[in-house]
Amino acid sequence: MNPVPPSPTALAAEHFLARQSFIELKARERAELLVDAGTARELAGPFDRISSPWLAAQGLVPQADDGVVIVRGAMNARPVVVISIEGGFQGGSMGEVSAAKIAASLDLARKVGEQGTPIPAVLVFESGGVRLQEANLGLALTGEIHRAMLALRRVVPVVGVIPGMVGCFGGMAIAAALCSHLIMTREGRLSLNGPEVIEQEAGPAEFDSHDRKLIWEITGGAQRYAAGFADELVEDDVQTLADALRAALARGVPARHRSERVGEFLERIARIDDPLRFDSAMLRDLFAGLKTDERHVSR
Amino acid sequence: MSSKPPAPVQPPRCWTLRQDAKAHRLARVAQWTKDRVLDSSRIVEALEALIEPGDRVSLEGNNQKQADFLSRSLAAASPEKLHDLHLIISNINRPEHLDLFERGIARKVDFAFAGMQSLRVAQLLEDGKLQIGAIHTYVELYARMFVDLTPNIALVCAEKADAQGNLYTGANTEDTPTIVEATGFRHGIVIAQVNELTDTLPRVDIPGSWIDLVVVADRPYAVESLFTRDPRLINDMHILMGMMVIRGIYERHGVTSLNHGIGFDTAAIELLLPTYGGKLGLRGKICRHWALNPHPTLIPAIESGWVESIHCFGSEVGMGDYIAARSDVFFVGRDGSMRSNRVLCQMAGQYAVDLFIGSTLQMDGEANSSTVTQGRMAGFGGAPNMGHNPGGRRHASPAWLSLITGDSPVMRGRKLVVQMVETFAKGGEPAFVETLDAVAVGKKCGLPIAPVMIYGSDVSHVVTEEGIAYLYKADGLKQRREALAAVAGLSPIGRRSNPRRLAKLRQDGLVALPEDLGVARSDAKRSLLAARSIEDLVAWSGNLYSPPAKFRSW
Repeated sequence: MNPVPPSPTALAAEHFLARQSFIELKARERAELLVDAGTARELAGPFDRISSPWLAAQGLVPQADDGVVIVRGAMNARPVVVISIEGGFQGGSMGEVSAAKIAASLDLARKVGEQGTPIPAVLVFESGGVRLQEANLGLALTGEIHRAMLALRRVVPVVGVIPGMVGCFGGMAIAAALCSHLIMTREGRLSLNGPEVIEQEAGPAEFDSHDRKLIWEITGGAQRYAAGFADELVEDDVQTLADALRAALARGVPARHRSERVGEFLERIARIDDPLRFDSAMLRDLFAGLKTDERHVSR
Repeated sequence: MSSKPPAPVQPPRCWTLRQDAKAHRLARVAQWTKDRVLDSSRIVEALEALIEPGDRVSLEGNNQKQADFLSRSLAAASPEKLHDLHLIISNINRPEHLDLFERGIARKVDFAFAGMQSLRVAQLLEDGKLQIGAIHTYVELYARMFVDLTPNIALVCAEKADAQGNLYTGANTEDTPTIVEATGFRHGIVIAQVNELTDTLPRVDIPGSWIDLVVVADRPYAVESLFTRDPRLINDMHILMGMMVIRGIYERHGVTSLNHGIGFDTAAIELLLPTYGGKLGLRGKICRHWALNPHPTLIPAIESGWVESIHCFGSEVGMGDYIAARSDVFFVGRDGSMRSNRVLCQMAGQYAVDLFIGSTLQMDGEANSSTVTQGRMAGFGGAPNMGHNPGGRRHASPAWLSLITGDSPVMRGRKLVVQMVETFAKGGEPAFVETLDAVAVGKKCGLPIAPVMIYGSDVSHVVTEEGIAYLYKADGLKQRREALAAVAGLSPIGRRSNPRRLAKLRQDGLVALPEDLGVARSDAKRSLLAARSIEDLVAWSGNLYSPPAKFRSW
């Protein structure tokens, strides 16, 4: 008797049991698992006790790392800095300390690079944007993050990941758009304004924040990838994601960043005649052909 | 011998009053019907013509499907024509169910569960607009329809009908056959709303000769996805308690047949079977036969070969294709769709299975529990049917026999009735209390008995994040109270215990902490779950499970 081959369903089930979900992990576990084993070293970690001075006065409990984990380590045996935002603390929002930690570590990576050892950066986005409790400082320092990214990406790649489930919104959505290479899962979401904000400003007829299908059809990873706002769509698995990151780092700096092609995107947006009539397919068609410039400058 | 005077002449008694009244009522709507089909645009007038003030009306509506076209139409009737109806309904679920009382169309209600509408029920009761006959369990309510609550009118729903009134109720058959049987065979009038009329049906679930009128609804009947639990919301505490249940109850007592509630803690158990249970080598030894709805969180256990059979109360949104493709496991018709039946499944859950496990909101020091808390007049649905030890049971099984504690020559086993409860609810309220809120609520609402969900005397095991209390082993009420207090954490009940007493209870086997069961607290991590998201469940199902949009995150 011939052995019965396993059914495709059984194989899919086995595959899913074997997967290690990246979404499931906390920011620190994420950063430590992405770098080569044994190379992780945290900068400005929780024992340095740099926490937000503004939250306690507003009745909120601060956190000793302010929700941002900076890990120096190696990938492909080359130095890298991984910046991982913790979505479980204040929705991954950018306050004075959390945003300053990110901007300073990007600047540090650039300065080290100027002395001869370029340090590329990996940003794991999990953020609702600026922290409302620290609005002005958070906003100003988010601008600092953007500035630091623009300076660093000239010399080494700055690779972004949006794994989910918080997603990436507000000023950090701009940061994601500045990345040399952006990786998403289908669970991740990328949008300047979050669905609740759009609904609050423009009403549920414009965007129903309870309609999960609609939200993911417009801002979800599969859609953002199809429309060219993300460069890669990967499954929620630690190894798959780490491999994709290593490949992206190895490719180096793109000849032109997406944000340098802003004119092409604006031209497409200008084609929309009725801004209230949009759907997933229409947006994919609109931005078709604007995928990443595949040419890279090797460094 | 003189003959007795002849008895006074009496007209012969008529034995067909009910039948005649029914024919008379149906004649009033003949103008709007063709074959068995009633003109949908005439539904409100037809209900006004068919129903009479004071009638007992059974409106189909449970925690899943709702005859909402008929309930909305009934609520639109004129209170001058229709008033003082006695509503028999398993779930007071939709706003219009209570509009009926607000408008004076209905006055009295017998029901099993009020869930979403529990606050409004309490208010209408206080305003004197609603009288409660009784709060039943499902089986009780349906059983009484065959005794002293036989409906004059049944308003039910089905997916499809043909012109002869044959109904296809499919996977969501649920309560329909029972209500129709109780009404139709006592000369009540049965009206079925259907999603569509077709020439041929996939199968006949209810024969047309039991149905009086069919009406096509304005939109498909409403159905809730009540049994879908998103694995992303299962936390480490649920997992720790799940691990304890698998080791300390399922494995220890060899539980092969069971019912699960819809809490996240039981969802965690379902997702731990293929992983944690697999590592313990328990596949095939526990959890083989189930009486429960097609929970999506059970998919990994089914796919891993744990589950031999599942009989269902109803279906679950998005599970149709998966069920059809797993017909060895579910009760499936020749047409490929499942047949559910709430009453039969409740009976199975009551008599046939060895274990019931569910969650509660509040428990007192004697393990009485209730989901009725301040201001909520919720009722219990099916939990009390399954959550008690049926004294009439005669068949033995290893799990049932394992609860025997005495040595008299005439002994019987016991059903495992397990309650899972975290010692503190969200917001820091203790779940263990001196007196259940239900006692005060019952008094305030004038109920003859306090609305207790599961009586403490039926509970065999209580599981908290602290450990398991094996209450069935207790010798007398005092020891029962002590064992429960030992797992009640820092709640007012828990503070009655102390370390010395706990040590003794552990030694005597009345209480087990995780370490006594070989469960390491540090292992209780989400990574142990066979599926950690709805998308994992879809993948496990080979893309056969199609979750409703509100559960999608992609």
